[in-house]
Amino acid sequence: MTTSSTLDHLLDRVTAGGHLTAPEITALAVAPDILSLGMLADVVRRLIHGAQVTYLRVATCACDAPIVDAVPAGAREVRIVGSPASLDAATTIVERARAAAGNRVVSGFSWGDVDRVAVAAGLPVSRALAMLRSAGLEALVDVPLDAIGDADRVLSSLMGAGFERLRFTIEKAPASERQALAERASALQKQYGAIQSINPLPTVPHAFRPTTGYDDVKAVAIARLAAPNVPSIQVDWLRYGPKLAQVALTFGADDLDTVSPSDEAPEGRRRAPLEDVRRNVEAAGLTPVERDGYFAVVA
Amino acid sequence: MVDELARRVADGARVNAADALALYRHAPTHLLGRLADGIRARKHPDRVVTYIIDRNVNYTNICVARCNFCAFYRPVGSAEGYVLGFDEVFQKIDETIAVGGNQLLLQGGHNPDLPIAWYEDLLRAVKAKYPGFKMHALSPPEVLHISKINQIPVDVVIERLVAAGLDSIPGGGAEILVDRVRKLLNCYGKASASQWLDVMRQAHRAGLRTTATMMYGTVETDEERIEHMMRLRDLQDETGGFTAFITWSYQPDHTELGGTEATGIDYLRTLALARIVLDNFDNLQASWVTQGGKVGQLSLSYGANDMGSVMIEENVVRAAGAAYCMDEVEIVANIEDAGFTARRRNMHYEPLGAPVFRDRDLPRMLTLGTARADGDVSVPDELRGYPARSRSGKQSRVAH
Ligand code: SF4
Repeated sequence: MTTSSTLDHLLDRVTAGGHLTAPEITALAVAPDILSLGMLADVVRRLIHGAQVTYLRVATCACDAPIVDAVPAGAREVRIVGSPASLDAATTIVERARAAAGNRVVSGFSWGDVDRVAVAAGLPVSRALAMLRSAGLEALVDVPLDAIGDADRVLSSLMGAGFERLRFTIEKAPASERQALAERASALQKQYGAIQSINPLPTVPHAFRPTTGYDDVKAVAIARLAAPNVPSIQVDWLRYGPKLAQVALTFGADDLDTVSPSDEAPEGRRRAPLEDVRRNVEAAGLTPVERDGYFAVVA
Repeated sequence: MVDELARRVADGARVNAADALALYRHAPTHLLGRLADGIRARKHPDRVVTYIIDRNVNYTNICVARCNFCAFYRPVGSAEGYVLGFDEVFQKIDETIAVGGNQLLLQGGHNPDLPIAWYEDLLRAVKAKYPGFKMHALSPPEVLHISKINQIPVDVVIERLVAAGLDSIPGGGAEILVDRVRKLLNCYGKASASQWLDVMRQAHRAGLRTTATMMYGTVETDEERIEHMMRLRDLQDETGGFTAFITWSYQPDHTELGGTEATGIDYLRTLALARIVLDNFDNLQASWVTQGGKVGQLSLSYGANDMGSVMIEENVVRAAGAAYCMDEVEIVANIEDAGFTARRRNMHYEPLGAPVFRDRDLPRMLTLGTARADGDVSVPDELRGYPARSRSGKQSRVAH
C-alpha cells in the first residue's frame, strides 16, 4: 500500500486542484494498491462533478435492419449499432433514425467504419462525415484512442464536419498503454477543447484474457487522473454490468453510458433497468442524474 | 468520529457494535477498504492469497425447511426432487481428484427420508474408497435436522458422523444470526440463532474446525448484520474453532421472498466491515460466486485473503440467479493480477503448494457442473435400504 504520508501529500495536492505528474501516476498504476489510486481519482472526480453521476438511456437500432419500432419514450439518444455496408447505407440509416428520434441525439458508427465507407465511396473522410452530419448524425460512438492513428486528422475532420462533444473510447489497448492514451487525450483536449468524455474500458474484450476487476478500476482511475481536463469518465453499464460499473464510480467514473431505455430487462434480471441504475448509484453514496445525448442534465 | 475510529482500528483496537455501525454507515468505501486491507496485511504479511480445489455437492434438494429466500429446494413429493446415489457421489469425487481436488463440500436439504444411517454409510463408503479424501459436510441446520428426526442429541450426532468420516463442518445456514430476521425468513424453525451457534460450539468442542457464513441483504437492519458478526466473534473468542468467515449477498431470483440483490459496493463494505469486526478470524473468503470474478478479485483489497473454492459444481446460488464460474487457471490469474502469490490450501488453511495446473495439464472447466442432469429423477438403488418417513418417500421406495 502507498505509505500514508505519500498518499496524504498527493491527496492534499489534488484536493487543492493540483494534478499528479506522469511519473506519480505511473508509480500508482504499477503498484498493487488500488485503493490509493481510487481515493485520488475520487477526489478529482468530486472536484469536477460533486456527488453527481449522470446516466444516459439509449435506444439502439441495428445498422442493417429497418427501424420498425417507435423509439421508447425513456430514451435520450438513438444509437445505430453495427457497421454500415456503404456510405449510402450509412446515410440512409441515419436519416431513418433521425426521423424516428424526434429531438433526441442520433449517434452511431466508429471512426474506422466512416473511414472505410469513405474510401470505398472514393471520398475524403471529411466529406463522408459532413454527409452523415447533414443526414442527422450528431455523434460517433467509437473514436478509439488506441486505433485512430493520426489523432489530429481525426479531430480536425470531426470538428470540421460539425461534430461537437467528442467521445473517446478504447478498443483493446493493454494495461501498459492506458496512461499514455489518457495523457494523449488530455493533450488533445488542451489543443482542441472538444472532448467531452473518455470511456476507458475496452470495447473489444480479449477473447482469452478478459480484463480483471483490478484492470478495470485502475483503467478508470488512471483516465481520471491523467486527463483531468476531460469532463467525463464513462463506464458502459450494459457491457460492464452493474457491479463493476458501480464500483468504477468510486474510482473516478462519473457517467454511465448505455442504460436501457425500457423498464423491462431484456437482458435478464441481472441486467438492471433504470430503477436499479439509480439504486446502484445511491448505494455508492452518489446522486443519480439523467442526461441527454448532448451531456445536458434532464430536468 | 470516523477519523478517530479509523485511527483506533489502524492501531489494532477491537471495535464494539456501536463503533462498527458508525464505520459502516459513515466511513467512505475506500477508507473501509484501507482499514480492512491493513488488517489483512497484518494477518497475512507474505501477500499469499489461498484457494481450495473442492466440489460443492448437494446430495438432495428435498427439504422440509422451506426458507423463503431459497430457490434450490423442492418440497417432499415434488417430481423434481432428487437424492444422489453413492455411485453418483463417487463419480463426482473422481472428477474432483482429476482436477487436483481433495475435498467435497457436501450439503443438502432437510430430507425427512434420509435417516442418520444413510449419512453414516455414505461417509464410511467415501472413506473406504478414498481414504485421504476430506468430507467438509453438513451445516448446523442439517445436523439439527438429523438430530430431530432421529431423536439423537446433537453431540451424539456429531460424534457418530465424525466416527463415520466427517472431517469438518461448513458454516452454511447461518443467514443472519438474529431470531427476528430468522422468523421473517422462515428459517427460525430449521435453527434459531442460538441453536446454530450451539451446534458449532459442540463441533468445536469435539475437535472439529468449521467455517462461519453470513447471508445479508434480505430483511435485516445494519444493526442486525453487525449483531451477527458480534455473535460469531464471541463464539470464536470462546472456542477458536472457526477457520474462516464467508459472506455473500442474498440472491433473489426464483425465490418466494423476491426483491433485489444488494449491490457490489454493499458487498465490499460488508466484507471490509467483517474484516474489521472479526479480529479473531484468520481468514476471510471472497464470494466471487455471488459477486462475479471482477468484484470477487476486488475483494482482495477489501479484506479477503482467500478466493474460496475452484467451482466445479454449484446448485444453490445458481438456482437463485448467479452462475459465475472460474477454474483454477482463472482463480490463479485473478490472484496474481492483483499482486498476490496464489497457493492451494486445505480446509484448515494449511498450504498445499503451488497451482496444480502449473505441474500438469488439467482440463479447463468453463461451465459449472450440476448435481444432476436436467430431468434426471432416477432413484438410487441403495435408498431402498433406508426407511422413509414421508408418505411420498415410502411410496417411491415401494414403486422403485
Ligand atoms: S436454504 Fe437449505 S434449509 Fe432452507 S429451504 Fe433451502 S435447502 Fe432447505
